[in-house]
Amino acid sequence: MKNITAIILSGVMLLATSCNKYLDINTDPNNATSASAELILPQALNYTAGMISSFNNYGVQVGGYGANAGGYGGFGTSITYNFTTSEYSGLFSSSYDLLNDYQTIINKTAGDANYNYFNAAANIMKALHFQLLVDTYNDVPYMDALQGSKKLSPTYTDAKVIYKSIADSLDAAIAKINAGAANTNVVPLGSADIMFGGNTTSWKKLANTIKLRILVRGNGKVTFSNSTFSSDGFLTTDALINPGYTRDNGKQNPKWNTWGWGYTGSSGTKSWMPSTFSKTFYDGIKLTDNGRGKAVYYQFPTTPTNQLGFEGVSVVSSPEGTFWFPSTSRVGTSAGNSVGVLKGPNAGLPVITASESYFIQAEAALKGIISSTTAAAAFSNGITASFKYLYTLPDGSVSGNPTADAATYLTDNPSSYLVNYGLATSDAQRLEAIITQKWVALNFVNSDQSWNDYRRTLYPKLVNTPGATAFQTFASRVSESTRPDKLPTRVLYPASEGSYNTANVPKGISPFSSLIFWAQ
Amino acid sequence: MRKLLYTFVVLFSMSLAANAQVRTLKGKVGDQNSAPLQGVTVRLQGKADFLLFSSVGFRTERIKVTAAGTLNVTLTEQVNIMDEVVVTAGGVKTKRKEIGTTSSIIKAESLVAGKSTSIAGGLQGKVAGLQVSNTGGGINPNFRLVLRGQRSLTEDIVVLNGSGAAALYGSQASNGALIVTTKKGKNGVTQVGFSQTTTVESVAFFPKIQERFGAGGSGYGVDLQGFGNFSYLENQSYGPAFDGSKRPLGPPLADGSQDSTYYQFYPGHNDFWNQGLINQTDFNVSNGDANSTMYFSAQYVGQSGTTPGDLYNRSNVRLNGTRRIGNTINLSYSTSYTQNRYDITTATGSMYDQMLNMPVNVDITRYKDWQNDKFANPNGFYNPWYPNPYFTAANNRSATRNDYLTANVELKFTPVKGLDFVARQGITTRNYSNKNTTGAFKFTDYAKHTDASSKSDIAASVSDGMGYSTQLLTDFFTQYKKTISDFSLNVILGGQWKQDQSKGINVSANGLVVPGLFNVNNGVGTPGASESNSLSHSMGAYSKGTFGYKNYLYLTVSGRKDWVSILAPENRTFFYPAAEMSFIASDAFDFLKNSRTISYLKLRGGWSKVGQVNLGPYALLPTFSPASGFPFGSQAGYTVGNTLVSNNLKPEITKGYEVGFDLNMFDDRFTSNVSFFHTNTTNQTVSTGVSGTTGFTSLRTNTGETMSEGLEVTTHVTPIRSKDWNVTVGGIYTLLKNEVVSISADLPRLGLTGSGVGSYAVAGQPFPVIMGYDYKRDASGHVIVDANTGLPTQSDTISNLGNAQAKHKLSLDGSIKYKAFTLSFLFEYRGGYQIFNQIGPGMDWSGTGWRTALYDRKRFVFPNSVIADPANPGKYVTNTNIEIANGNGNNGFWTDGINRGVTSNYVTSADFWKLRELSIAYNVPSKLLANSKFIKGCTVSLQGRNLLVWMAPDNYYTDPEYSSAGSTSNGIGLSGYETPPSRYYGATVSFKF
Repeated sequence: MKNITAIILSGVMLLATSCNKYLDINTDPNNATSASAELILPQALNYTAGMISSFNNYGVQVGGYGANAGGYGGFGTSITYNFTTSEYSGLFSSSYDLLNDYQTIINKTAGDANYNYFNAAANIMKALHFQLLVDTYNDVPYMDALQGSKKLSPTYTDAKVIYKSIADSLDAAIAKINAGAANTNVVPLGSADIMFGGNTTSWKKLANTIKLRILVRGNGKVTFSNSTFSSDGFLTTDALINPGYTRDNGKQNPKWNTWGWGYTGSSGTKSWMPSTFSKTFYDGIKLTDNGRGKAVYYQFPTTPTNQLGFEGVSVVSSPEGTFWFPSTSRVGTSAGNSVGVLKGPNAGLPVITASESYFIQAEAALKGIISSTTAAAAFSNGITASFKYLYTLPDGSVSGNPTADAATYLTDNPSSYLVNYGLATSDAQRLEAIITQKWVALNFVNSDQSWNDYRRTLYPKLVNTPGATAFQTFASRVSESTRPDKLPTRVLYPASEGSYNTANVPKGISPFSSLIFWAQ
Repeated sequence: MRKLLYTFVVLFSMSLAANAQVRTLKGKVGDQNSAPLQGVTVRLQGKADFLLFSSVGFRTERIKVTAAGTLNVTLTEQVNIMDEVVVTAGGVKTKRKEIGTTSSIIKAESLVAGKSTSIAGGLQGKVAGLQVSNTGGGINPNFRLVLRGQRSLTEDIVVLNGSGAAALYGSQASNGALIVTTKKGKNGVTQVGFSQTTTVESVAFFPKIQERFGAGGSGYGVDLQGFGNFSYLENQSYGPAFDGSKRPLGPPLADGSQDSTYYQFYPGHNDFWNQGLINQTDFNVSNGDANSTMYFSAQYVGQSGTTPGDLYNRSNVRLNGTRRIGNTINLSYSTSYTQNRYDITTATGSMYDQMLNMPVNVDITRYKDWQNDKFANPNGFYNPWYPNPYFTAANNRSATRNDYLTANVELKFTPVKGLDFVARQGITTRNYSNKNTTGAFKFTDYAKHTDASSKSDIAASVSDGMGYSTQLLTDFFTQYKKTISDFSLNVILGGQWKQDQSKGINVSANGLVVPGLFNVNNGVGTPGASESNSLSHSMGAYSKGTFGYKNYLYLTVSGRKDWVSILAPENRTFFYPAAEMSFIASDAFDFLKNSRTISYLKLRGGWSKVGQVNLGPYALLPTFSPASGFPFGSQAGYTVGNTLVSNNLKPEITKGYEVGFDLNMFDDRFTSNVSFFHTNTTNQTVSTGVSGTTGFTSLRTNTGETMSEGLEVTTHVTPIRSKDWNVTVGGIYTLLKNEVVSISADLPRLGLTGSGVGSYAVAGQPFPVIMGYDYKRDASGHVIVDANTGLPTQSDTISNLGNAQAKHKLSLDGSIKYKAFTLSFLFEYRGGYQIFNQIGPGMDWSGTGWRTALYDRKRFVFPNSVIADPANPGKYVTNTNIEIANGNGNNGFWTDGINRGVTSNYVTSADFWKLRELSIAYNVPSKLLANSKFIKGCTVSLQGRNLLVWMAPDNYYTDPEYSSAGSTSNGIGLSGYETPPSRYYGATVSFKF
């Protein structure tokens, strides 16, 4: 027995020594457990493109550009506006998922002067996405957000405080870029920058443009710490994200992928079609715009339309690729290479177009926020830039003559102050002209921005009297809204916040009466 | 049962000392063929009036002791695959009398009485404290086994059913263990068995649908009574009441032909489901001699399911054996190879939804032949929005193959009597592959563009996966047994090594070019590809000692130390001890020994602590992965994973105790086991949803405590026991209290099924609870409705709508034997809990739901509602007359979020009674078989499972045993679009040669 015990004991000893080797096998063979800023930034920017596309979908559906198409039912709250916590919840949850990628870059590069460019780019994008969040949800978690396990139930920050803070962080990002330029060891953005190809001046212009958008929207409501802008100016070209979009699995332009065709040639979303209201700005009912009408709509000027909320067998079905794709070459496996808003699977996705930048400047000039341009000049530039964006093919080349067509547009609408800025006789008319033109320019481009402007300015003008026609209002026929314009004021916080952040999520939010702080 | 007197080989002789009489019996025990039997246990029963002869694999015989003399006893064999299933909470196989905790033994006879093709199905309702739930419908359904309530806040539960080890299981047994003992051959007996079972499967419970209103809705205008107009293509049943007239269905086809129907109710929604058929063939042969035994079996099961087109088969061969080598070494082995094949649809949910979106004036069964019938073909199918469910089922397929090998080899070395050295190696491995396909379909332009059609072309796709998982389990232990006068000692010292390894590869392609060729090289664009690997090690050192006194008092203490690879080095070692005591009072005290009333009384109790690592490998560090289309050419891009991780996770600890007794009375005509248990699990490894605004969506951490306690009572009575008759009836009652004690200060509740409506762990509440939206209510629970519209309002946040774990479980079983006939039955009840029927909103959407016709599709006053009292702000008065105007139509109340989005509308009682099993068997008497020289035994039986179900009256939907979260998730309480529950009935004939 003693011998046996000795054998067992020595066996146990032997085991103990080989024990660590036996157990040290927990290295992950499936996923990376760290990643550099260079690897995270391109993915995050492409995620931004996807988010911007999602915000555009929301703007199309709520903001008056789209209506339910034939062949589909169950629009539910999309046509009653009586939103529940599930509608558009992805705008909230995906924004924070994406913001965590930018925050990871910020945390990784904080204090490393060589990574100033990456840090600045991530901060600019963070500011952009918080603006999008505020414009959709008003108060959202900001100060406590994105801190992982340090703050598991982030509190909500006042929307105005967020506006002020992100305007400051844009200034700081521009300063970081300037400091980076003075550092010979700075790591260039290089190919990781799938928006500007490493052009840091463009980044500073983007920062200024976002800040201007914030200052214009927060004008009179938020006390900003610095209302001046760096000398870099504002965007004069379209800020497009394009990592190399192509007709391939998961690699298509996200807007094309949603509305056009999948890479296999299968049809995208067919459940929406242009609203009757939106077409009136092209087909002569309100304004005549043959150039852009043909660039945006299929079969223009006879493009079928519908009023949101009208359901019935007479509503026309959407063709594959939707009515927002003008080309007659509509075979799913080869469609593309077109002008307009969808263009093709390989087109870049606009974060902010030059046209929007000009219209923001026009409003800022009108209100005395900037003096670097006049409202009239910026207004004119905005229209031309809109033609130019719409006439651009996916490869960046321009088809047709946008400048000439923009000039024709002015003469086609000789008596309209909405087109000919000089005809406007009051600041109210001038503002209406700027916002209405912006509404036309952003049709299916960044539709959510138009929805924000409508709620802030109530332009384009709607007729709110009972029995208003589809030409006069884009409000749903079956709206349950209690407002005079029969429109909602906002979407609700997602159910996940009710579940996981119960104590902090604002209560009693109504889709018909709770206003974003800048809204009317 | 009293004492184990002796175990003989072939012959026995014994002296019985009772009431000062001494009788000597001699005899011989053999099987039906009079071949001598080995390993027979002989026990004295009652006041020495009876002897019980039992042997594994044979029916126990009870012989009345009349006088001294010679007895020849014949044991009849049981024709079963499994000999017995032992369920213990501690996981140790040992003599039952020594066990201080509850253990249940399910005899093979009972296990297979209902002829379930799976062990889990055969266990339903038969084990105290074990809840076996059929979590999904369909072919070869999944079961979820939970012993004594849920403890783990995480998703996974461990069900230990490996036949590998028989000693200490370690962490895996912290939720209890299920041990399957397989059959072995017998010395001197050659036996061949064959049996054939044919079972029919049919739907036992259909969702309740309204039978009065057909296709249409207010979207097509309203008639004078305010009912929505008929529509020939509408999927929603919000049209006018049935009138029996002939009406068109869908637009005319391109060739001008027109589908039509009579506007009346057709029972097609129920007839859609097929009658399934299961054929099971079993064959076995066994043999043994003095040095070795051998058992071989083969089985084939072929099945067609209730879902049209679903097929399944399973084949199994098994070889078990033992061999004695010299005088000191025993070698035993068991091997089993199983393969199963599935050919099923992947689109059960959408198929079911499409079926519900066919109004009840459409006879669904007419659309079966979608290849040839122009009205059933997707092009001509009347509904422009929801495809033909028969087509969907046929066009979305999954072919899966699984091959399983389990094998064990054990070498036992016994140098001296009482000392064993055992080495054991086991392997359980699964190798699988699957191919999921979707066929292409090109619609005609006419079909795409007629009448607001949303038909659009379907691109073909294929997804192909394969992989394996292998567990290796190695045990070395030594056991020492010694008896010194009144004291006995049984000590085990050992170690265990476990390796789990798996790999999975999946590739996929879309837009397949050549029709009908489902291969990833036939796609367009970059094929999808993914890979996952996993490897983990653990080892344990354990010891266990059982100290006995006079064969009636046993104390067992054990301890185990584990090392695991999946935790950080500073946390990967943990120790856990246990102790238990067993006292056979009926052997200890003379007054009980001699009692005519009490034949057996055992008191038992135990305390244990178990550590468990409820985590897969590689879970300690954050992960980064390529996402949203990356890489684009040479440009890579990585995203941050969504789980907040900690490198400092520790094992979970479960501490518990149980006490109980076993009491048999009146010569064992009354038997009972009573146990009370209580466990607390702390430091749980939890992966839970957190607010996305943290930057992450889930958090993996150690937190929380759950408690479960309960009472288990098993009792059986044998009122009639005679030569020809034997009637035994009894039941099992389990009362379970399963609670979340605490979670953490940061997290008031944990979502078990994701965010929003679902199954949650909430501190201070039963585990789990269903949380969802309700209507806004006044202080006394009345629904507040708007004074103008009569419409209620949905609550702002989700709230607790009921507990999802059955509080009470009761099964009643019985067997009545008369001569060669045996009738047995088993009823099971579960009660005191709720379920969220997720199919409900879909049924109301389609207008087929029973609820939608509750108010005859008219305006109605919301039941039990109140309106704001204009005179007293903040107070409410009963609403007697404010009606909901849009109680009709497909833009009305029933299809709106205010009905369908309110969870509480679909949370119903989950209580049920089921007739789980009913069988009648006839053993053909041997004298009838005497003419045939080779048939030694024959049994014929008829049996049914789940023959009758009684649901709670408000449950219009489906089987509350279902769990849409799957069989391995603790997120119970939610059912979905599972195929309706089945009943099975069939016949078996078995022969022995």
